[in-house]
Amino acid sequence: MLKYLIKRVLWMIPMLIGISLISFFIMHLAPGDITSNEAAFNPKASEESRQKLREMYNLDKPVIVQYSLWLKRMVTLDFGKSFASHQKPVFWQTTDKDGNVTKGLIQEALPITLMINLLGLGITLILAIPLGIIAARKYLGWQDRSITLFNFIGFSIPGFWLSLLLMYWLGVVNNWFPISGLHSLNYESLDTWSKLKDSLSHLFLPVIIPSITGLAGITLFVKNGMLDVLQQDYITTARAKGLNEHKVVYTHALRNALLPLITIIGLSIPGLIGGSVIAETIFAIPGMGKLFYDAVLMRDFPVVMGILTIGSALTLVGNLLADVAYAWADPRVRRGVARG
Amino acid sequence: MTSHTLHFIKNAIVVAIGIWLSACGESPNSHAPATVDNNINYPIESGGALINAMTGEPSGLISMIAGESASAAISSNIFNSLLKYDKNLELEGDLVASWQISADQKTITFKLKPNLKWADNQPLTSADVLFTWQAVIDEKTASPYASDFQLVKKAETPDPLTFSVTYDQAYAPALDSWAGLQILPKHLLLGQDLHTSAFVRKPVGSHYYKLDNWAHGENLKLSRNANSVLGQAKIDKLITRIIPDNSAQFLELMADNIDLMGLDPIKYSRIIPARPELQQKLALYKELGNSYTYMGFNLKHKPFDDVRVRHAINYAIDKQEIIDGVYLGLGINIASPYKPGTRWSNPALTPYPYDPAKAKALLKQAGFVDTDGDGIVERDGKPFAFEIVTNQNKEREKSAVLIQRRLKDVGIDVKIRAIEWASFISRFIKTGDFDVVVLGWGLGLDPDQFNIWHSSQQAPGQFNFIGYNNPTVDKLLEQGRLELNPDKRMKIYHEFARVLLEDSPIVYLSAGYGLTAINKRVKGIDNPAPPAGIGHNSHEWYIPTPLRRNEISAH
Repeated sequence: MLKYLIKRVLWMIPMLIGISLISFFIMHLAPGDITSNEAAFNPKASEESRQKLREMYNLDKPVIVQYSLWLKRMVTLDFGKSFASHQKPVFWQTTDKDGNVTKGLIQEALPITLMINLLGLGITLILAIPLGIIAARKYLGWQDRSITLFNFIGFSIPGFWLSLLLMYWLGVVNNWFPISGLHSLNYESLDTWSKLKDSLSHLFLPVIIPSITGLAGITLFVKNGMLDVLQQDYITTARAKGLNEHKVVYTHALRNALLPLITIIGLSIPGLIGGSVIAETIFAIPGMGKLFYDAVLMRDFPVVMGILTIGSALTLVGNLLADVAYAWADPRVRRGVARG
Repeated sequence: MTSHTLHFIKNAIVVAIGIWLSACGESPNSHAPATVDNNINYPIESGGALINAMTGEPSGLISMIAGESASAAISSNIFNSLLKYDKNLELEGDLVASWQISADQKTITFKLKPNLKWADNQPLTSADVLFTWQAVIDEKTASPYASDFQLVKKAETPDPLTFSVTYDQAYAPALDSWAGLQILPKHLLLGQDLHTSAFVRKPVGSHYYKLDNWAHGENLKLSRNANSVLGQAKIDKLITRIIPDNSAQFLELMADNIDLMGLDPIKYSRIIPARPELQQKLALYKELGNSYTYMGFNLKHKPFDDVRVRHAINYAIDKQEIIDGVYLGLGINIASPYKPGTRWSNPALTPYPYDPAKAKALLKQAGFVDTDGDGIVERDGKPFAFEIVTNQNKEREKSAVLIQRRLKDVGIDVKIRAIEWASFISRFIKTGDFDVVVLGWGLGLDPDQFNIWHSSQQAPGQFNFIGYNNPTVDKLLEQGRLELNPDKRMKIYHEFARVLLEDSPIVYLSAGYGLTAINKRVKGIDNPAPPAGIGHNSHEWYIPTPLRRNEISAH
């Protein structure tokens, strides 16, 4: 097992280098660089100054040279500095000689996105698992049909439209929830309890809406897994033994039915750090999605590469964790790994 | 299902809809006490907070390297320049009490106002001005705006209140350039790299406001600067929230969480007038911006080198249709590249009228005739077809569609391609690989447009990318730069605009209005807007105590 793990982890290094190489070249295939943004299209701004900026950021060098410069920095885990926001560090904070701390872009955006996505995933699971079980147990009954209907409505409604509608109804018509942003303007002067309340009320809509629209997939997974398992012979055996239905469903069937969820959760780990551009734009949340999107539009290469690298590393780690968790949960897989 | 249950369900739905509708019909919640009347006259008093919203976050607050409008919007509250424009767009002193131009027009001597101070109590002297000039022309700064200041041959500070610059030859846009250069404090920036300095995010200035706090991605909070060199502004705090989505901004405006936002024509002329509760609390302002949208020809490509073809296309496009259809009437037709109503705009010029018959005749003169009867004109067997390239900007895309239809009427086959900005610039503009573009120019207040129209400015990355080359225009542009007398200068630019209109290297499509909604709690705003726009006296705006938000004044 340990040997298997070490092998998998070592394999990640060439994988990551390959991914970063491809990302780097694709990024440079898009025309333009940091000097071709809309603000630079100003008759007062001279081409010489743009050329100077290109030289300052090594953008005048061949792509392969730029890539090797980037890789050289990455070996020391230096993600570099953003072009577009006056060389803010891409990943983690730096302190200058006067003690001024400049926070990193990812450092600021990641906790926000992570919190929203974790809360969202939690809510989705809390809702989806019971709904899936009910739908499977009452298969083709009215409960199943209404859950399916509800899920598909949630799945089909465009998230941004539902967001704007709820923002209008809950924020403008009724002053129940804040409309956008992460904190109230007087957040600093609140006590701890009010701060928590303030944060939660700001997070309510951005967390709830993706949870509802994302419910359909997971509910369907749980339902199908459950249906599969409930038809197995050992369930018939359990019922024949005279176990009560509760025990049959929750002790014997559920654990097996949830196995596919491990894969899904494993695969959603990289998704946890990538925010949704649309949701973050509508709710004015300075998260990872907006950071990445703006960086692409501005051709802010260090930021694009920083996020892609962290994202791909997390995808690989997520896959590994899912496999390990599988082995832990499923003896059949465990035996297969030990043999191989 | 019995008819009884059906009936019940129907009733329930009706009741539910009724509740929902009545909930929607309620006037949006206001934080100010409901009994307060926005419209009575309140005495002028200081205090209160103005909450504003922006779609983008500034990259930093040193405007000589930042460049984007979000940055300028904040930094112009924090820093002063030597000169500024008054409400009628005439230059007046900002940091300076007076300025003098030498007899040979090559030297400008600025006299600073006495006893100026930075927000941190250090004196502001001519040494700071000299330092700022040195910073803007420094290679390491790589300021996009360096070129105006590189023309200064010699800069001197004979005493702490005097700063003088000498140019190689008279340079008329010089005064405007000094009105655009925000003066930075030497004592905080000496020896620092402007790009990496923490000052970019923690500026210290001399203007009405100073930066208190910048919550990245959320808001910037400014409060009054006690040392302000121009006296005290009325409003205590300026808070700018960063809300990238326009719809979300509008919801915040409706809910009374922000006081001010820029509008699009639909909100201005359809949504707000249709809702009495919004009309009651929002005042609408429109002001002509210093920008216009145009369709530009690549003059190096055939057949656009033929002035008859350019004229034909100009006559074939119905500009009023674009203004009405795309801008809902909130724009005007222009005939020169200057803001109408200002000194530089030539009042004798009139735009090309919509005249498809004349367009067809001109095309025929140029040799374009529909020989095969497919509705498209040909010359030498080749159909007249081209592609309009524009960036992904809804208004420009819609304008292009209207142009496409009108040109089809006169037998020209047009395709449209809209692409993302950076690709658009790098792939099409810089390489000159386009036939026709729809784009806009946002201009400064100085009439000099050398960089856009002079034939020497055609290298890749420069701004005469349409390849305009007219010796008369070249000469006028050169003269205009040398002439510091405003009246003589005006004549030069009037003549320049006349030649340009006749030559028609671009088709002026429209100059759109800037539209703003401001909560009526904010008083002291000039309406209608003077030439400089409503923002010119924002330091005199005030919010009477009964109209202030409770939550903000509470802390």
